[in-house]
Amino acid sequence: MREVISLQELKRIAQVSKLELSEEELQGFFEDINNVVSRFEKLNDLDLQDISPTSHLSWSEPPFSSDEPRAGEGGEEVLKGAPQVANGYFVVPRVVDKEEKENEDRRV
Amino acid sequence: MKIEEFRDFSIGDYHRLFKDKEISPLELVNLFLERIKEGEDKIHAFLFVNEEKAKDEAQKKAENLPDELLPLWGLPVAIKDNICTRGIPTTCGSKMLENFTPPYDATVVERLKKAGAIILGKTNMDEFAMGSSTQTSAFGPTYNPFDRRRVPGGSSGGSAASVCSLEAPFALGSDTGGSVRQPAAFCGVVGLRPTYGRISRYGVVSFASSLDQVGLITRKVEDAITLLEVVSGKDDKDSTCAPYPPFGRSEIPAPEEIRKLKVGVPREYFPSGLEKVIKTKIQEVLEKLKEEEIEIVEVSLPHTSYALESYYIVAAAEASSNLARYDGVVYGLRVEGENLQDMYFKTRTLGFGREVKKRIILGTYALSSGYYDEYYLKGMKVRTLVRQDFEEAFGKCDLLITPTTPSLPFFPEKKGRDPYEMYLNDMFTVPSAMAGLPSLSLNCGYDEGLPVGLQIIGRPFEEGKLLGLALFLEKLLALPSPFPLFKEDNNE
Repeated sequence: MREVISLQELKRIAQVSKLELSEEELQGFFEDINNVVSRFEKLNDLDLQDISPTSHLSWSEPPFSSDEPRAGEGGEEVLKGAPQVANGYFVVPRVVDKEEKENEDRRV
Repeated sequence: MKIEEFRDFSIGDYHRLFKDKEISPLELVNLFLERIKEGEDKIHAFLFVNEEKAKDEAQKKAENLPDELLPLWGLPVAIKDNICTRGIPTTCGSKMLENFTPPYDATVVERLKKAGAIILGKTNMDEFAMGSSTQTSAFGPTYNPFDRRRVPGGSSGGSAASVCSLEAPFALGSDTGGSVRQPAAFCGVVGLRPTYGRISRYGVVSFASSLDQVGLITRKVEDAITLLEVVSGKDDKDSTCAPYPPFGRSEIPAPEEIRKLKVGVPREYFPSGLEKVIKTKIQEVLEKLKEEEIEIVEVSLPHTSYALESYYIVAAAEASSNLARYDGVVYGLRVEGENLQDMYFKTRTLGFGREVKKRIILGTYALSSGYYDEYYLKGMKVRTLVRQDFEEAFGKCDLLITPTTPSLPFFPEKKGRDPYEMYLNDMFTVPSAMAGLPSLSLNCGYDEGLPVGLQIIGRPFEEGKLLGLALFLEKLLALPSPFPLFKEDNNE
């Protein structure tokens, strides 16, 4: 295994992915991911300069839907799957920290 | 009647029994439920058995036998647990969705119901369809019905194992890089991945959207044809679903036309690492086809050995983006935290298993600034080369025949084993998925009681030729359909 991604870089990527890794997990992923990523270097054998990328497959022009209002599905039903709801809304924990909020208020 | 009497049945045979009043839909559902009870502690193919609702639905049907039966009337079907079923849990084999019950049916489920089918239950799978062994399910693995010590393949391992053991007559799966064909090969049944866009993905939990496709797992090729007729075709709810009419069996060439097809054999699909018995079995089939005067030509798909790397970049990149939606807000697991960010971290850390986390990290890395060109862009360019390989090969032949897997069903992953070894199992199924081509795995024989899968690959939307050759081969090989006896171990 060659080290392509450093432990530090791996920690950063996990942060961005909103995943908390224990030291043990981090070590395991460090080995596994470097193992896989180092094999990706094989693609450097190929001359890809003039090749256009395939991001998706489409066999025909994507169809347009008619621009008409329609009743959505679910409604109340959709909210039933939510961890927390109130008055027909999804509830999330506080987004803005208290201190930030106070600073904001002062500026106003 | 006894369940083993259905061993070689296809849908038409069940319908004949209904019409002759030899069995009612309720009696049939009860036989499958009994079989599930007998088998589940041995193979664990199901995550949820829809017992009450299936009985109710079957009872309703039993009371009202129509003169003309809908294509799937009265037949129970097993559904992979990443396909949404209204009012029935859909977990994706993950703690993240352990308590998720969809408020709607996937388009494929809606179409199955409309055609008269009865939802029998939801089948086990690798978490979020990431794996080739059904070992990464958060709810415990599925075992291979032929030999419980071995894996059933994956990620649609539960669907394949249920059909193999006749716990269900047929099932839906999903195939991103081989997740229908590889388990079908390991369980000795038919696994069809149609052309990308042939079947709507609406209501199928996204893993890698440019690759995901619903697949069909059946005991007979005939049933794959019927199922494809029912579930395929344009869907306004999925813009990646091709705006074409559903598949029709009239697209299948007559047997005499099948003999005129040219079959290509790509030399890159017979590498030195290929298990000898698999090579032998495939070659035996090719010999038989030659005896039937079907022309076999050697072709080359030169970028085959690069496809797997490209696939893992593209699939992980798309997965990291698709799985960002699991944030504890709208549905699925929430683990409370001090604030929003803390809640995100806690929810995702507890909700996802190891393989899923690994792929999210891999994909996030491949898409991150500074590495995008190095990985994701390169992956997509290689995908173009893989597609071009197929286009060129199909200039010389109508269909390709390859092995489905490089090995027989393997033993569960041992700790410390090179994770890449597991990925190699997908080497023959990944390239056609990247090119979006229809591909089918068919059992072509056994080695010491374990099945060997043969893969047929066709041009886009030429499922007709593909299924025509599969029917021809099925008849030619005349293998009995599997009926494993659920022995504790198969040592004798």
